[in-house]
Amino acid sequence: MSADLQWMILRNNSCCLVKRKAVRAFSREPNNLKGLNSFRFNGLVHRKSVAVEPKSDGKGVVMVLRNSKSVRKPARNFTSIELKRNARKTLSTIRKVIGEGNYRKDLKMAAIRRASAIIRSQKPVVVKKSRGKKKE
Amino acid sequence: MACRPLVSVYSEKGEATGTSVKMPAVFQAPIRPDIVGSVHMDMMKNGRQPYAVSAKAGHQTSAESWGTGRAVARIPRVSGGGTNRSGQGAFGNMCRHGRMFAPTKTWRRWHRRINVNQRRYAICSAIAATGIPALVMAKGHCIEEVPEIPLVLTDKVQTLTKTKEAVGVLRKLKLWREIEKVKSTRRFRAGKGKMRNRRRIQRRGPVVIYNQDNGICRAFRNIPGVTLINVDRLNLLKIAPGGHVGRLCIWTESAFKKLDSIYGTWKKASEQKTDYNLPMPKMTNCDLSRLLRSDEIQKALRPPKKQVTRRVLKRNPLKNLSVLAKLNPYAVVEKKLAKLVEKQQKKKRQELQDAKRGLATVDAAASGGKSRPRKPVTKGPPAKEKKEKKEKKEKK
Repeated sequence: MSADLQWMILRNNSCCLVKRKAVRAFSREPNNLKGLNSFRFNGLVHRKSVAVEPKSDGKGVVMVLRNSKSVRKPARNFTSIELKRNARKTLSTIRKVIGEGNYRKDLKMAAIRRASAIIRSQKPVVVKKSRGKKKE
Repeated sequence: MACRPLVSVYSEKGEATGTSVKMPAVFQAPIRPDIVGSVHMDMMKNGRQPYAVSAKAGHQTSAESWGTGRAVARIPRVSGGGTNRSGQGAFGNMCRHGRMFAPTKTWRRWHRRINVNQRRYAICSAIAATGIPALVMAKGHCIEEVPEIPLVLTDKVQTLTKTKEAVGVLRKLKLWREIEKVKSTRRFRAGKGKMRNRRRIQRRGPVVIYNQDNGICRAFRNIPGVTLINVDRLNLLKIAPGGHVGRLCIWTESAFKKLDSIYGTWKKASEQKTDYNLPMPKMTNCDLSRLLRSDEIQKALRPPKKQVTRRVLKRNPLKNLSVLAKLNPYAVVEKKLAKLVEKQQKKKRQELQDAKRGLATVDAAASGGKSRPRKPVTKGPPAKEKKEKKEKKEKK
């Protein structure tokens, strides 16, 4: 069953669909890089998909790729690559795997952005010392 | 039609046995959620029980209109006396204790006939949809760790008798999360259904489709969310609950194998249904990206236009020299010539004037283009001295 056909069935009818006041509909399925309800970013219908999630211990990022050979076998469907080193390495790994690996090149920027957003959120929050305001 | 893959059969311990079954052709049937939805809606209507108000309601009075002349509205009023009810309006839908507008009747058309072929189309679509993991996941079932979709178990499952064993099977197949999800959605129905024996509701879980009940029904029936059907009596209301395709189905091996004889393959008509074969899809290949990449289409395309042409603001050549130059390159030369000519004419005119006035012409170019101080030919005091003299005079 082609991805296009599945998309035509799911585009308006899915448990993950979120339609609220926003102009664009969102989608909650796990392998959606941007959370948008769109054919390109849908996490269910494609044979190859990319997901970038924070690691459970809060340090680093996990990149989850779909095995295009075992689409009908959900247990074996995904390979996850843990990226625990510094941010530069993480992003370059993602770039390589997707870009040079020719794996859903159209998702490259989205994956990189998501990874850097996750990494940024994992950095400890630096509280800026505010200059004491003179109160009179 | 797509090639039919082999589906592995799993034991009740969740491990793949060596055997595999060729996927029945039904799973390649066209998926038509619109047909499934409309057939489902009509089928749901067939389980309804009629409701109506009593036929006598509102008419069990001998009310008559008082007519005109009595300073009351002309609605029929209850005859008699001695009670509050006497003289009250009756019969109308607007009257208190009157009959309602258009009293509901039991002979309303509750049930719907659905064409046999449509019914069969719907069920074929629904079964096909249960074989696509994306659709099953989009329906909300937790199948992330299930070994394979469609899920086929050995026939030994049909002989299970204990619920405990059935639970064990579901756990081994990683379906317990699905059952727990059902349990967590147990709640009271919203609305009057609570008082009408429909108090509690919960999500739908997996449907177990078997060939022979040697205990499987008793084993699985008490597990929340699980529905059991015999493969000979597949029900659209159970395979596509809510009218939406993609319910999680667990097949036993013999049930799975029977599907080919029930619905046919395109090459072979159905054995159990007279004169029936699977619905034909409108497109043999519906993979859009594949189609676009195919030779036939690529040959017919022109190369892509990567150059982006943007709107160019039109500038007026009569005002803008560079635009004018683009249109008429000789215009630049003309202008230069004109300038030159103008300069020469000016010089000539000035010479003439100066000659008339008796002044020496100072070449503007030689003096660096500055304004010409016109030297008088006759000697006189310089301008500065003249000024000083004037000031002295004024002071005086």
